[in-house]
Amino acid sequence: MEKLFLLAMNGLIWGLIIALIALGLAIIFGLLDIINLAHGDFFMVGTVLAWATLQSTGSFWLAFIVAPFIGFILGALIQQVVIQPIRNTAMLSIVATFGLSLILQESVRITYGPTPGRILPPIQSTIHLFGVDYEVYRLFAAVVAILALGGFFLFLQHTKLGTWMRAVRHDREIAVAMGIPAGRVYILTFAIGFALAALGGVVAAPITTVDFRGGVDILPFCFMAVIIGGLGNLPGTAAAAVLLAFVEGVIQSVTDPTVARIASLVLMSAVLLLRPQGLFKGLTR
Amino acid sequence: MLNLKDVHVHIGKLHILQGVNLQVKPGECAALLGRNGVGKTTTLRAIMGLARRSGGTVEFEGFDLASCEPHEIPRRGVGYVPQGRGIFPNLTVLENLCIGLPGRRDLEREEYVFGCFPRLEERLKQSGGTLSGGEQQMLALARCLMMRPKLIILDEPTEGIMPRLVSQIRREIHRINQAGVSILLVEQNVETALKLCPRVFLMEKGAIVYNGTAHELKSKPEIVRRYLGLSKQ
Repeated sequence: MEKLFLLAMNGLIWGLIIALIALGLAIIFGLLDIINLAHGDFFMVGTVLAWATLQSTGSFWLAFIVAPFIGFILGALIQQVVIQPIRNTAMLSIVATFGLSLILQESVRITYGPTPGRILPPIQSTIHLFGVDYEVYRLFAAVVAILALGGFFLFLQHTKLGTWMRAVRHDREIAVAMGIPAGRVYILTFAIGFALAALGGVVAAPITTVDFRGGVDILPFCFMAVIIGGLGNLPGTAAAAVLLAFVEGVIQSVTDPTVARIASLVLMSAVLLLRPQGLFKGLTR
Repeated sequence: MLNLKDVHVHIGKLHILQGVNLQVKPGECAALLGRNGVGKTTTLRAIMGLARRSGGTVEFEGFDLASCEPHEIPRRGVGYVPQGRGIFPNLTVLENLCIGLPGRRDLEREEYVFGCFPRLEERLKQSGGTLSGGEQQMLALARCLMMRPKLIILDEPTEGIMPRLVSQIRREIHRINQAGVSILLVEQNVETALKLCPRVFLMEKGAIVYNGTAHELKSKPEIVRRYLGLSKQ
């Protein structure tokens, strides 16, 4: 029972972090029609930036500002240099973002090194929950992820840029004809997507390993969340990420992680076959 | 006010606009008529910078619109009501209305717009997609008016609208024009266009083939028959 609780909680919290990353993937896909194979590496860059901030300043907490900020700048640059020239060409975007993924991984391997590292949780204490001593940092990570998700949805619903993003996502041409600078919206969307993934990387850094291949496992999970949530459906994507990770956590409590991942893939296949519009269609806005 | 000189547009290998010349004077209400596929919508899209021009110039108040980004054109005073209304169904009525404004709201302008379309004020929080076709058309017009345009370009504003609402929309277009806003109207409903617009341009094969008054056109049934495919007016 304790194991079930532990793995279910871990799954839930991991799901919240994945939701942050998958949201970035979903807004980039929804707005720019880009299948971003480098998105997992944006998360990896976040973990490495957390490690670098800790090494250079001695404070892990600073990484919560530094990593999303650098991610935002990098995202804006990448959109301009890599994505903008190949916009409207889905096939090229796959090749380009795959190349970008390799560049990011190799850049990190050269600078950070090939050996995976660990960051100790900045909050070392535990709390007794349902017979288990549970790490307080994980609960903190869940709170940060929930706040970031909530903040993102508030931004999307209640700011001018958020409204513009929703308008451009629906119809770019009409949005331009109404005076919306769609080009700038694209840059900011990609930058926000990178920043969200980098923030996810910082939150996850003390839970996972810091490794130049750290984004490789994350990417399929994010894609599964985007598909199960419904393509372009942002609340659905977040809900699907949490659901998937929670289900995997519960399954892992009775069997091994590979079976849990197979279960997720079966769920995704079932959704594609039976409900291709996604499990959470009603959440679309 | 609006001056199109020898405008050409190619889409792929097709030569869609083959030298369009068209002028709309300040305060004028002009109709652009023609059969389906002659290039009316492309002409409007070329004005708005949405269709890339391969030749010619589009000037608005003496300013070449090619020298600015397409999203800057509405801010120069050219409003656009696209075919099929083009409202954002996932945005509320209020969000749709304020979408083009640099700030969040313009209460003075909202008051004016709700004076024209009171029904919209009752539905501010409703998603645009839940409105009826007529209400969506009102929203599209109202959204355009929020930007304080000097010229409004309307692409088939009465298409697919209930007859009762067609006359209301026609009345509002007339009222907007009476307030000094110039209008360029593309309309399949020739009767509506000729009632509203004293000036008429006829298009055929990507070029303007007739430029005259509605009154003159009514007295030339052979031209109406030839270019609009109608036997009587």
